[in-house]
Amino acid sequence: MTNLSRRDFLKLARAGFLWLSGALTLGGLIRFLDFEPNPAPKTEFDLGPAANYPLPSRTLLADPPAVLWHTESGFSAMSLACTHLGCTLEDGADGFTCPCHASRFDADGRVTHGPAAQPLSALRIEMTDDNNLILHTD
Amino acid sequence: MRPSFFHHLHPPTIPAAQARWRYTLGAGGTAIFLMIILGVTGILEMFYYAPNPQDAALSVQTITYHVPLGWLVRNLHYWSAQLLLIVSAIHLLRVIFTAAYHRPRRFNYLLGLALFVLSILLDFTGYILRWDMDICWPLTTGTNLLKTIPWIGNFLFRVAIGGGEACSTALLRFYTWHIFGLTILVVILGFWHAFRVRRDGGIAVPPARLRADNTRISRNELVRREVLAVLIVGILLLLLSSFFPAPIAPAMTGKPSAVENARAPWFFLWVQQMLTWGDPFIFGVLIPLGVLALLTLIPYIFPKPNEAEIGSWFPKSNRLAQIVVSVIVILVIFLTLLSYAN
Amino acid sequence: MQTNRPLTFDFRLLLGSGLLFVVLSLAWFLDARQPDAVELIPTLTGKPEYCLTCHADLPEISASHPVETFGCVSCHGGERLALDADLAHSTMRGGANPSDLSVAEASCGGSSCHSGSEADDRHHIQRVMTSIQSTYAGAIAGIRYTFGAQTDLNAHLGIRAVTDEETKTGITSLSSFDPASEENPFVQKFGENCLTCHINAAPREGEAYARGTGCAACHSTGEHTLSTAIPYTQCNACHNRGNYDLRTMTFIERSDHPTQRIDDYYQPIGLFTRCEYTLDCVDCHTRSEVMGDGDIHKDQASIEYVQCRTCHGTLEELPLTRTLTDPNDIAFKLDFLNPVMDLKLGDTILVTEKGEPLWNIRVLPDGTYEMIGKATRQYFTFRPVMGTACEQKPDEQESHYCHECHAVEK
Repeated sequence: MTNLSRRDFLKLARAGFLWLSGALTLGGLIRFLDFEPNPAPKTEFDLGPAANYPLPSRTLLADPPAVLWHTESGFSAMSLACTHLGCTLEDGADGFTCPCHASRFDADGRVTHGPAAQPLSALRIEMTDDNNLILHTD
Repeated sequence: MRPSFFHHLHPPTIPAAQARWRYTLGAGGTAIFLMIILGVTGILEMFYYAPNPQDAALSVQTITYHVPLGWLVRNLHYWSAQLLLIVSAIHLLRVIFTAAYHRPRRFNYLLGLALFVLSILLDFTGYILRWDMDICWPLTTGTNLLKTIPWIGNFLFRVAIGGGEACSTALLRFYTWHIFGLTILVVILGFWHAFRVRRDGGIAVPPARLRADNTRISRNELVRREVLAVLIVGILLLLLSSFFPAPIAPAMTGKPSAVENARAPWFFLWVQQMLTWGDPFIFGVLIPLGVLALLTLIPYIFPKPNEAEIGSWFPKSNRLAQIVVSVIVILVIFLTLLSYAN
Repeated sequence: MQTNRPLTFDFRLLLGSGLLFVVLSLAWFLDARQPDAVELIPTLTGKPEYCLTCHADLPEISASHPVETFGCVSCHGGERLALDADLAHSTMRGGANPSDLSVAEASCGGSSCHSGSEADDRHHIQRVMTSIQSTYAGAIAGIRYTFGAQTDLNAHLGIRAVTDEETKTGITSLSSFDPASEENPFVQKFGENCLTCHINAAPREGEAYARGTGCAACHSTGEHTLSTAIPYTQCNACHNRGNYDLRTMTFIERSDHPTQRIDDYYQPIGLFTRCEYTLDCVDCHTRSEVMGDGDIHKDQASIEYVQCRTCHGTLEELPLTRTLTDPNDIAFKLDFLNPVMDLKLGDTILVTEKGEPLWNIRVLPDGTYEMIGKATRQYFTFRPVMGTACEQKPDEQESHYCHECHAVEK
């Protein structure tokens, strides 16, 4: 083995180690930053006794933004977070309007005016054994 | 190629005598490397640190126990900070013991001294940012010392912590001082200090006509030595950080009781030891400031060393300064050990 | 020769880079070796805690304190985010026992918990703090009186200082008993040797004496368990474990483990009726007797009042009863916490002369009574004394008269 090729080998190995170390550091950096220090947001909301929502009724909820109906067929709910970028919709006479980018939805949540493309999502309502309503947003 | 700051620090060749390990000890370069590590890990910690009294200690626990590799980042920050003080002190002693502080390097000596003081303040403010049970009494005594200064004491106290009771109000000020106020000064003075090294003719050696060895080393060689030093220090830091975790204590909830740790951080133990002797203004302010003043005045009050002896260890023409500084160092070490013994 | 030095240098750089890689890998390895943190966000606090990372195998402490609701930190304290055992445990209240009376207010108290108002019957901590079990006032007063350290038998001192602003017993406060400041050597010795059984004190060594301090002394009936179904063995840790020698002021531990209840009992009385060794202590003795009623009492006798006749009546009187018409009756809550009876509105239960429900005893249609053991869940029936052949004089109805005929032969 000549000196030159040995030198090249040393150089190659050194570069390899340094690149690997750099990769580990970068990977560590990514792992370090990819962490949620705060607990995940709630997906369950206690709406209180079902008796607070008489038949028939339509209630606007603030947290989470949603509308809750009590009809003959039972309780149902729809999210009032705009499907465009998540602003809270304003309730109007002929549906819902987004204050951020003027998307409009009809009373049933269908898009009547962009830029939103998706209809508003239905939310699951659960009735507990002691007649409390639980709203699920997941 | 346009000259850059890097090229300013690394000219095509420099005298071999300026880059000898056994002369420079690599202390200045290591200090720069540690500051870079401190900056990077400090910024990373800021992604999770919450500078409010309720959450600060908890966010430190989050970094330590929950963020992936967060413990490593925090330990690296801690060990870099402690090593920085040691390395800076070694750097300062090297400059004094090799009589390198005289004109034209006198101004840079003062810059370096200022950087040393800033590093101590940064270490202390950083320590306080843990905001756990262990920091309350050192914080209280440390900031109350400011109040003992006549005329301007209360002003300095308000500047430092914003008034009120230290353990409930100081966090936001210390956070800002640590991350912005002191750091920006260190960055500015640090660049200036490094710039002045070359501006003043490089690391102190006798003029070429008085040098025994006039060989020079190339820029490549210099960079390679620096890379090697960085690797060694980096490995040492990683090992320290992997096996010796930075101190942590339970979160502060209300004022800790008197039995909690009242020990100052290690670099202030010598002052804490003197504080047991009496008047806090004399022992906690005047004497430490006196030491600082003495170090500041070294280039002014001691005779100019013989040109041929500059850059060699313990030159005869510089004896007096060496003795004075040695006595100070021995006293500080002795007081520190004494406080551990108590 | 000229190429040698740089080659050595290259080699050093290689070694450095290699080591750097190794050390970085080591750091990654150490990171990967950390335990997977188990997060719990109790609904009560909404703040994440990580105790379950190590303590997932602990049994649920009680049906009333589900971990999903309360978590660990509400009661135990500690550093909820720390994954280092030393740091995590460093600020726990009362070490392993947050119900120790020095910290019970912080651990168990609070207006929605066990230091609520007297009207809601939720002032448990105040009751326990002032109870004889905690103050030991009677024994201290008795000993000091006997040896001339005080001139009356009234309670002036307790194990710790307590106050009761709204006293019904006339004792508004007790000062702290400090054996060291006593002059009489017997009282000093009493202080040294005889203060191990009130619930402020750590128990004596040995399995037979094992109990917690504070609330846990009675309510912790197993590892990490809180219960109101308290078996007699729990009481035995103090009440059947040895005797005092008043001449030498020492405590003589019994060496055996009591197993035969009838043979091994010798305190507090020598004679036992069948129910006294078949039932558990809590089947007869009420909450106020055991936990106190919120007032400072001078001795045990002034708070203990349940007698044989409380359940059995006398020749002339049936035991007192209460028909449950109020759904908020405390009896329902007690039955809910230790569901042995399944009480319903309209049921008639026995009550004491102070009105405390004996909620595990129900009146049957035929005029007899059914009872279910609170800890054993054993089913019993019994009759009132009235209408039987008992010949006891009407003015001699205290329990000790009953024992004369009804004691079981050992």
